[in-house]
Amino acid sequence: MGNCCNGGGGTAVGGADFSPGGGPNDAVDYFLTSNGHHGLFSQIELSLSASNLHDRDALSKSDPMAVIYGKGRDGVLKEIGRTEVVLNSLNPKWIRKHTVAYHFEVVQTLLFRVYDVDSQWHDLDVKMLKLDDQEFLGEATCTLSEIVTKTYRSLTLDLVQEDESNGSNHSRNFGTLTVHAEESVISKTRTEFIFRCSDLESKDLFSKSDPFLVISKTVESGAPIPICKTEVLQNDLNPTWKPIYLNVQQVGSKDTPLIIECFNFNSNGKHDLIGKVQESLADLEKLHSVGQGEHLSIPTAVGQNHHKKICKSQLFVDKFCEKVEHTFLDYLSHGCQLNFMVAIDFTASNGNPRLPDSLHYIDPSGRPNAYQRAILDVGEVLQFYDSDKRFPAWGFGARPIDGPVSHCFNLNGSSNYCEVEGIQGIMTSYTNALFNVSLAGPTLFGHVITTAAQIAAQALAHNQQKYFVLLIITDGVITDLQETKDALVLASDLPLSILVVGVGGADFKEMEILDADKYGKLESSTGRVASRDIVQFVPFRDVHSGEVSVVQSLLAELPSQFLTYMRNIDMQPST
Amino acid sequence: MATTSRALEVTVISAEGLRLDRRRPLKKNAFVIVRTNSQNSRSTAASDDAGGSSPAWNEKLVVEMPPHAWFLTVEVRCRANSGDKVVGTARIPASDFVGGDVPANYLHFLSYRMRDGRGEPNGIINLSVRVKGAENGAGAAATCAAAASVSRPWVGGAVVVGKFAGGVVTGVPVWMA
Repeated sequence: MGNCCNGGGGTAVGGADFSPGGGPNDAVDYFLTSNGHHGLFSQIELSLSASNLHDRDALSKSDPMAVIYGKGRDGVLKEIGRTEVVLNSLNPKWIRKHTVAYHFEVVQTLLFRVYDVDSQWHDLDVKMLKLDDQEFLGEATCTLSEIVTKTYRSLTLDLVQEDESNGSNHSRNFGTLTVHAEESVISKTRTEFIFRCSDLESKDLFSKSDPFLVISKTVESGAPIPICKTEVLQNDLNPTWKPIYLNVQQVGSKDTPLIIECFNFNSNGKHDLIGKVQESLADLEKLHSVGQGEHLSIPTAVGQNHHKKICKSQLFVDKFCEKVEHTFLDYLSHGCQLNFMVAIDFTASNGNPRLPDSLHYIDPSGRPNAYQRAILDVGEVLQFYDSDKRFPAWGFGARPIDGPVSHCFNLNGSSNYCEVEGIQGIMTSYTNALFNVSLAGPTLFGHVITTAAQIAAQALAHNQQKYFVLLIITDGVITDLQETKDALVLASDLPLSILVVGVGGADFKEMEILDADKYGKLESSTGRVASRDIVQFVPFRDVHSGEVSVVQSLLAELPSQFLTYMRNIDMQPST
Repeated sequence: MATTSRALEVTVISAEGLRLDRRRPLKKNAFVIVRTNSQNSRSTAASDDAGGSSPAWNEKLVVEMPPHAWFLTVEVRCRANSGDKVVGTARIPASDFVGGDVPANYLHFLSYRMRDGRGEPNGIINLSVRVKGAENGAGAAATCAAAASVSRPWVGGAVVVGKFAGGVVTGVPVWMA
C-alpha cells in the first residue's frame, strides 16, 4: 500500500502553489490590454503626381521622373526609390508606389526631386540613370507626419529650385508635387486565435499540469524571440486558452516559422516544457480550416544527432480570424489631433538659474539645458499632430512675484489662459518665467495632472476629437505620491497620456512606481485602479547626445496608449 | 429642485485574479451582482470554465440610480453546492461616473480593486458605466445641473469608502472642482 493515489482528488498535492497562478494571468491580461497593437509601426505606401512642371524641351514636353530621399538628422540623403519615367507630360501621375516605414517617435523628413529624363536614356532602367545627366526640374521637402495627418492623406508641395544664377529674376513657378500616403493593408491586419490542446502529459508528480503557451518568432542563427503568451490554466490536460492576437508585422510574414511551446507553470519560474510545434501563420490557418491537430514534440539528444520525440498531445486551432482594424493613422487622417502640453519643475532643488551648475541655466552660447532639450525632443515630434499648434504650458513649485508657492502656474505669466504659440512659444515663456519667479518647493505633480485632465474632459464635452499628451519635466522626487496616483487613476478614463522626464542626478525610484511598465497597475486611495496605463517615465541622461534620444522610447508608446483609449470607449474614426 | 432617478447602463466586462479562500483560484460559476440599493440590483449569467480566475462576462445591465444613492456596489459571487458565496466586492462612488467635466453620457471605463468578506484584496473588476438618456443637449444640461447640485455630498461620500473598507480611514483629496 505504498503507492501514491494520484487519482484521489482531494488528497492530491499540487506541484505549484496556486497563489502565484493568478499573478501571471493578471500580468498577461494587463499587458495585452495595454498594448493595443503589438509592434506599432506601419508601412506607408507613397504615390506621387505633379502638376504644371516647367517645360524644358524645346521640341516636346518633359519626360519627368521623381526620386524620393529620406533625410537624416545630419542632412545626409538616403535614396528610398525612383518612379518610372512618364513620357511627354507636364502633369505626370506616377504609377510606382514606394514603401516607407512610419515611426511615430521620430521626425521623418522626406525630400523629393523631379527630373526631366533625356530621350536618349528612355530605354534604360531608371535605376541605371545618372541624375547628373538629367535636367533638374525642382524639389520639395516635408515630413512623413505632415502627410499622414492630412485628410485623404494627400499633401501638395511647391517645387523649388535653389542656386538660381539669375538673381534678378522674380521667383518662377516650377509646378507642384502631390504626395499621397496609404497605409498598407498588411499593417492593419490582426489575427485572432483560440488554441486548444488535448491529452497533455502530466509534468507534476501528483497532479495535472498547469499549462500555458508561448509563441516565438525565429531569427536566423539566433534564439527565438517570444512575441505572445497565453494565461496559465490550472490542472488542465485539455486546455482551451483565451483568444490571443497577432499582427503580421510582429511575425514578419505569413510564412515565417513560429515556435509554439507548451509549458507547465512552476511558481519558481523554471517551467517544464510539455511539447512544442513549429508552424507559420499560413500553416495555422490550414490546421484551422481542416480541423486537424498537430502533435507536439519534445527535443531529445541522442549522441550528436538531435531527434524529436512525438507526443500523444496535440495542438488545435479552434479559431483563426483575420480582421483589418482601425489604426492610429486611420484616426489621424480622419481629423483626430494629438495636443501637446508641458509642465516644468521650478523647485529650488534645480539650483539658481543664474549659476552655471543649475539645471535651469540658460547658456549664453545658446546650448540648450536639459529642460530645453526635453521640450525640443518631444515637441518637435508632437507639433506635427496639432493643427493650431497652441500648447498649454505650466510650471510648478515656484513662487510668483508677491504670491504664494504655486503648483500649477501658466508659463506665459497670464492668470487666465495657459496656451502659447508653437514650440518656440514654450521655449520663450520658459526662459521668461525663469527670471520672473522664485524657485521654491515642494515637488507636487497632482495639480498639473488634474489641470491637464480637466482640459481633456472639457474637450470631450465639446465633442472635440483630441488626445492630449502632457510632458512633465522634473529634477526630483515628488512629495505627493498618493495624490499623484489618485489624479492619474482618475485621468486614465480620459483622452490623456503623460510622459515624465527626469533630469539631473536624483533618485527617480518613485517615478518608476508611476510607470506601469515596471510596477504594475496604479491604485488610488479609494481602491479605484487605472483602467489603462497612461504614464511613461525615462531619466534624461543622454549617453550619446544627438543620437537616438531616450525620449523616443517614451513617444513610441503613445500610439498604443491612444488606441487602447479609443478601443475602450469604442470610438471609430469619424467619417 | 427635484432630482430624479437615472438609469445606468453598466457593462460588466471581466475580472482578474479572483481567489476562493485566499489560496484556491476561482474556477467557474462566477456571476456579478450590480446594486445601487436593495431595491435596484441586476445580475449577470454565471461564467463557464474557460475564464478561470479571470472570468469575462461582457454583459450589459441597466440599473436604476436613485438620487440619494452614493455608490454602485459590484459583487462577484460564486455558485456552490452550499449556496452563493461572495468572492469580492467593490464600491464605486457615483462621482466616478456622474458629473465632472466630461459629457453627461460619457462611457466611463473603470477598474476597481475588490475585497473579500474579510477586507483583503481579491482581484480587480473591469466595467464600463454610462448614464442613460442623456444623449440630447437638453437632457445633458438637465443631468449636469442635477449632478452639480449634489456633487459635493458625493465627493464627501467618497470619504465614507475608507470606513467601510475595513476600519481604516484614508484621506481622499478633492481634486475635481
